[in-house]
Amino acid sequence: MARPLPAIAIAAILLLAACSPAEDGRVSLVVYSPHGKELLSDHESRFEARYPRVDVKWLDMGSQDVLDRLRSEKNNPQADIWWGAPSDLFEQAGEEALLLPYRPTWAEAVPAEARGSGDFWYGTYKTPEVIAYNSALLKPEEAPAEWDDLLDPKWKRKIILRDPLASGTMRTIFCAMILREMEKTGSPEGGYRWLRGLDANTKDYVPNLTILSQKLARREGWVTLWNMPDIELQRARYDYPLAYVLPAGGVPVVMDGIALVARSEPRPAAREFYEFVTSGPSLVRAAREFFRIPARNDISPSELPSWIGQTPIPVMPLDRDLLRQRSREWMRYWDEHIRHKGDSGPAAAPSGGMGR
Amino acid sequence: MRISLNPRSALLLVLPVFGLLLWLVLYPNLFVLWRSLVGDDRFTLDHYAAFLSSPSQMEALGNSLFISLGSVLLSALIGVPLAFVFHRFDFPGRRIFAALASLPVLLPPLVGVIAFLFLYGESGILTRSLQVLLGLSEPPFSLRGIPAILWVHAYTMYVYFYLFVSAALKRLDESLREASLSLGASRTRTFLRVTLPVLTPAMVGAALLTFMTSMASFSAPYIFGGGVRVLSLQIYNSKLNGDLEMALVETVVLTLVSLLFLILLQRYEATGKYRAVGKGASPSLRPLRGKGLRLGMAVLGISAVLFLLLPHFTLVLISFSQDGTWTTQILPPRYTAANYGRLLADDRFLEPILNSLKMATLATAANLAFALAAGWLLIQRKLRGRRLLSALTLLPWALPGTVVALNLATTFSISDPLQARVLLVGTFWILPLAYFIRNIPLVVRAVQAGFEQLDPNLHWAARSLGASWFYSLRRILLPLLLPAAAAGSMLAFVTALGEFVSSIVIYTVDSRPISVEILSQLRQFNFGSAAAYGVLLILMIAAVFLLFGRTLDERHRPAGQ
Repeated sequence: MARPLPAIAIAAILLLAACSPAEDGRVSLVVYSPHGKELLSDHESRFEARYPRVDVKWLDMGSQDVLDRLRSEKNNPQADIWWGAPSDLFEQAGEEALLLPYRPTWAEAVPAEARGSGDFWYGTYKTPEVIAYNSALLKPEEAPAEWDDLLDPKWKRKIILRDPLASGTMRTIFCAMILREMEKTGSPEGGYRWLRGLDANTKDYVPNLTILSQKLARREGWVTLWNMPDIELQRARYDYPLAYVLPAGGVPVVMDGIALVARSEPRPAAREFYEFVTSGPSLVRAAREFFRIPARNDISPSELPSWIGQTPIPVMPLDRDLLRQRSREWMRYWDEHIRHKGDSGPAAAPSGGMGR
Repeated sequence: MRISLNPRSALLLVLPVFGLLLWLVLYPNLFVLWRSLVGDDRFTLDHYAAFLSSPSQMEALGNSLFISLGSVLLSALIGVPLAFVFHRFDFPGRRIFAALASLPVLLPPLVGVIAFLFLYGESGILTRSLQVLLGLSEPPFSLRGIPAILWVHAYTMYVYFYLFVSAALKRLDESLREASLSLGASRTRTFLRVTLPVLTPAMVGAALLTFMTSMASFSAPYIFGGGVRVLSLQIYNSKLNGDLEMALVETVVLTLVSLLFLILLQRYEATGKYRAVGKGASPSLRPLRGKGLRLGMAVLGISAVLFLLLPHFTLVLISFSQDGTWTTQILPPRYTAANYGRLLADDRFLEPILNSLKMATLATAANLAFALAAGWLLIQRKLRGRRLLSALTLLPWALPGTVVALNLATTFSISDPLQARVLLVGTFWILPLAYFIRNIPLVVRAVQAGFEQLDPNLHWAARSLGASWFYSLRRILLPLLLPAAAAGSMLAFVTALGEFVSSIVIYTVDSRPISVEILSQLRQFNFGSAAAYGVLLILMIAAVFLLFGRTLDERHRPAGQ
């Protein structure tokens, strides 16, 4: 007669024994970061080669997740470094006393918008938000060239967007459009009208980037809004039929940063890591291998790949303070009053059926 | 069954069972309730008023209810007949397909749902095939809205009905049926008045789990909803937008609805008289007479299972297709093993797999021990607080996984013995604990259904023949409970193995599970490798089902047959 229960117990004990972590006397340094496995392991191994007494451990997660985590771990901080998030998340964390101030050696080499208030964070990479399209379906001259072109009825049911509530990229673009209209009228109404027009052309809102890139490549949609480095990466690595347009009228640029996490005892290794990953050579490597645009302006363009060095980016000026104060309200309004209210949303699609 | 305990040993069980439930299940929930009622440091009902007066919230509530009831109905319609086909009749290939039919209970996180898109979505395999076959210019359908959510739910949740009813059928006393038939009752009447009532505990358990899982279900409405409002999504959106109070109110409402359903079902269950009395079980498979019938049943059962496994096959296909090449074709144009190669080249490849195995084993062992104690108490009809106990054991299922994790993270963020709080955040133990809590309902319901069907006279016979209480437990009760306990534990184990929604909130450097690794691959756009990881997970789950399914089948055959 088979006896599964004792067998399970034995298996469990063996498993536990096999998995207990080996202690090798190195100091461990924990990094929370959305930058992805490949960039992280690359920097990990180069850093460990230089500082052999440090064992770098990283957790790869979305930047909003990092903030949530730092909040819940406030009484027992696990991380030393938070590497990667749009500036407003860092500002928020700074206000909540989750970060330690630190002024890096290169602080003067970045523009003012890359210096966090109270030295709580500094900018590392710049992420321009652009219009992207399926290059197998559209020639460059056929793609929408400006933001307002997206409202043209010829794109009806051809635009697929990421759900803006869950995506920093989309939030930034939506809020930038509202800010742009606000400059003219002083109220968000004009921006809402613009977003209503976009909603009318939007076929679907998808929850994540993977589904977005699949749907675009599989021709369920023609046009989307995305960031420039990701498209360069997808193109270079997987040959996806994707291309992008930088609207000459200006693109919103998200400033990505780095910060030290507040712990009872700050660790010297954390500062070493901070400086290491933001050093000139590391930034060049990140640009070449991982498609990141450095925020520091003391790096010679000739060292950077051509898509960065030779493309002038028309930056759209954004009122960051206003954006931080009002974005929640704007996005809630969008969710309740604009999402799927356009006449081509899934609700009106024949296949939507009982969707509403 | 009624096996009463003497008061002292009853207390020995009651104290730890209730203690654990109050501390780990009720306490964090009360925490949420309390915070939903407080604003600006004073008691307020404002948040609830805002909820009730919002048309979009009411729409979400209505949709959630409709979808959950629909999911129960559809899942039962698939799961119950399938259980009968595989566990009442014998035909070639029965065993292996009976085990495989449990597989859809766990689609690998993230990539599993994407497999649905590649199958039934607007550009999916089936959709495009139909479009070409029928010569349409537009896709014939797209996976979107309430029908799509119901479709995905039925596809994955029928397994609760299938497994629970299968376990009950294995324990069904054939002599009852024969008696009924020989007394002149028709087959239909026998089915309705004898077989069905005996299956009631299993069906009620499965209905509850399905209802609660649907209420809290996240991925299906998130990915296929196309804008349909449901409560679980509202919670997520409120939280994302920093509207914590509203998220808490929505959580409380969702929990209340699930509890209401539980109470209604308990009322119904209490009126039933379905305890099996008899001389133990003599489960039997009916060998089918006649080649045609044999073949028919085999074809029916096997094709149903193959159809239900289509998303799994799709995932295998994706894992072998070259990233970026499958765009306008029905099937991937180019195949490669590079996706698996990339996984194996990573020197940390085994880490998440070992982590998940370790944590799932720990959590499931705890679940089983706990369920045996709780299941025993739950059948003590005289026990005061039995209803409360039942409600408490099911409560974790009423909560979305994110909420369970957030509750744990909030409650156990500091050590404070006075408030019964222990610092667990950032430690290895919090994740196995979350798995344990989330799977309490699954294992307890399964074990309870097993207890309900048990004939107490066997225990008393053993006792009167001089066996000790423990001996009877070990040699009589546990072996008879095994099909039900194993069904529940198996489910709990595989659920923990691929758990995503709680894990993502509270995993640590030392407890990075498989699901988080899949997410990491997706974040890099390594779509094929994410699918390959999903396929590995499916293989592990299939191994568990085949291994345990077989042990079960051999074990419960009574001696002499």
